[in-house]
Amino acid sequence: MTSRFRVLAFTIYVVAFIVGGVLMGFEMLGSRYLFPYFGGGIGTWASLISTVLCALAIGYFAGSAMIARHPSQRTIGVFILIAAGYLACVPATADGVMEKILSGLGDGPAATLTASTALLLVPLSLLGTFSPIAVSILTRSAEEAGRVAGLVYGVSTIGNVVGTLLTTFTLIPTIGSRAITYIFALTLACCAGVLFLPFGRR
Amino acid sequence: MVIRSVTFGAIASALVGIAAAPAQDSRNLLESKESLYNNIYVYEQPPYVSMTFGHNRRIYTESVYNTRDDRDLPVEYTRFMTAGLMYAKDVHSVLEIGFGGGRTSWYLHRFLPNVQVTSVELDPTVVELARKYFGIKEEPNFQVVNRDGRLFLQESKEHYDLILIDAYRGPFVPFHLLTKEFYQIVREHLADGGVVAQNVEPSTMLFDSAVKTINAVFPQLDFYRADGNIVTVAYDGAERKPEDLAGVARDRDKAYGLRYSLLDMLSQRRHIQIAGGNVIDPSAKVLTDDFAPVETLKNIERHNRKLP
Repeated sequence: MTSRFRVLAFTIYVVAFIVGGVLMGFEMLGSRYLFPYFGGGIGTWASLISTVLCALAIGYFAGSAMIARHPSQRTIGVFILIAAGYLACVPATADGVMEKILSGLGDGPAATLTASTALLLVPLSLLGTFSPIAVSILTRSAEEAGRVAGLVYGVSTIGNVVGTLLTTFTLIPTIGSRAITYIFALTLACCAGVLFLPFGRR
Repeated sequence: MVIRSVTFGAIASALVGIAAAPAQDSRNLLESKESLYNNIYVYEQPPYVSMTFGHNRRIYTESVYNTRDDRDLPVEYTRFMTAGLMYAKDVHSVLEIGFGGGRTSWYLHRFLPNVQVTSVELDPTVVELARKYFGIKEEPNFQVVNRDGRLFLQESKEHYDLILIDAYRGPFVPFHLLTKEFYQIVREHLADGGVVAQNVEPSTMLFDSAVKTINAVFPQLDFYRADGNIVTVAYDGAERKPEDLAGVARDRDKAYGLRYSLLDMLSQRRHIQIAGGNVIDPSAKVLTDDFAPVETLKNIERHNRKLP
């Protein structure tokens, strides 16, 4: 294993952790954006959770479909950067979008699903492409595939857990939801920046 | 730790059930129902029927109904919820957010037959049980709407002389019913000279923030203390003089034949100055849709400051 590859692998695991954290953190934040408009019921949560899982499915499928073209860490860097841009637009636009959905569709399942889709689907689908592409970059031989996949998903899932708890119990009680969204956008942009660094060619 | 204790509490309550709650022994469980939002238990202890929500190992009484007297308000603070009647310029329409067993709104519609009383309740099962056990039915001047309180107001074009807010779900208040934006919507739906009466539980730091938030929209606040609760009456304009309030209270006590005299309530009135910092913690923050850590504030015990 070359030292360059080791650095690349380490970077990808760190980014997997952070992206996992932002992903679930943003789901928790989603509740703060939706509740004032659609109420704090179980229906709103069901919409948020199903949208996140849909986004992940889309991201996993899209990522796996791209593997044949040998995507690099820069490809995921680009996706993460677009997701960061999307998040950065959320605080200023969310209220207008939620109001339109509320006046157009009411507050039933169609409305909460549309609202959570508008908020979460695009950035989380983009982040969802991370894991399959990361696995393909880190896998150098067939017998490594299972080990690498397990590591990537394990690290990113721990990131999910940390993101959920940190957002809920520390960030939301200390700073506003809009500020947290900007922090998430900035964090993702930094991750993308790191992935653009020259790690050598595959 | 928070997660674990909550999970443990939930498991414990599931195992031990309602038997663990004190003072339940003499009561007879009429029905328990798991709704979309709550675990609801209806108990009977003649002549009273009570609706309670279970959270963790505790049982929170939401409403008590005297089956022999539908105009009785056995829970003290609910009487003070009617104190707003002596502040409102006119009394044509009343809105209640948080119906529960519907005692306050039912009392108002019985004593004020020419006033339109509307109550909004999120949980359809709560409304269903209230109809079944609490003698609630549609009447020409009384209706219950099954809707999120904030959504109802947002879409409503009506204006009300008195808006009552009592949207506790067990120990919690949904955060979107406790922000500055919410009270602005409430204010937009007040008729000229209209007032707001809100039930707030005063034992935690959430109280300070809630009161400050109400004050960010309504300049005048009067407190009425009852049992473990405080009813806040909030209104616009200058502070109302006690003698003016007494005049209106006397008139309306007589005009409506109110069982719980407004004039008697007036003696409990405490006008609150937020600015001094004596009553409300000066460091308490106004809650907004962006920043409303209600769960965290709820967990901070309130000491230091004395309530009036």
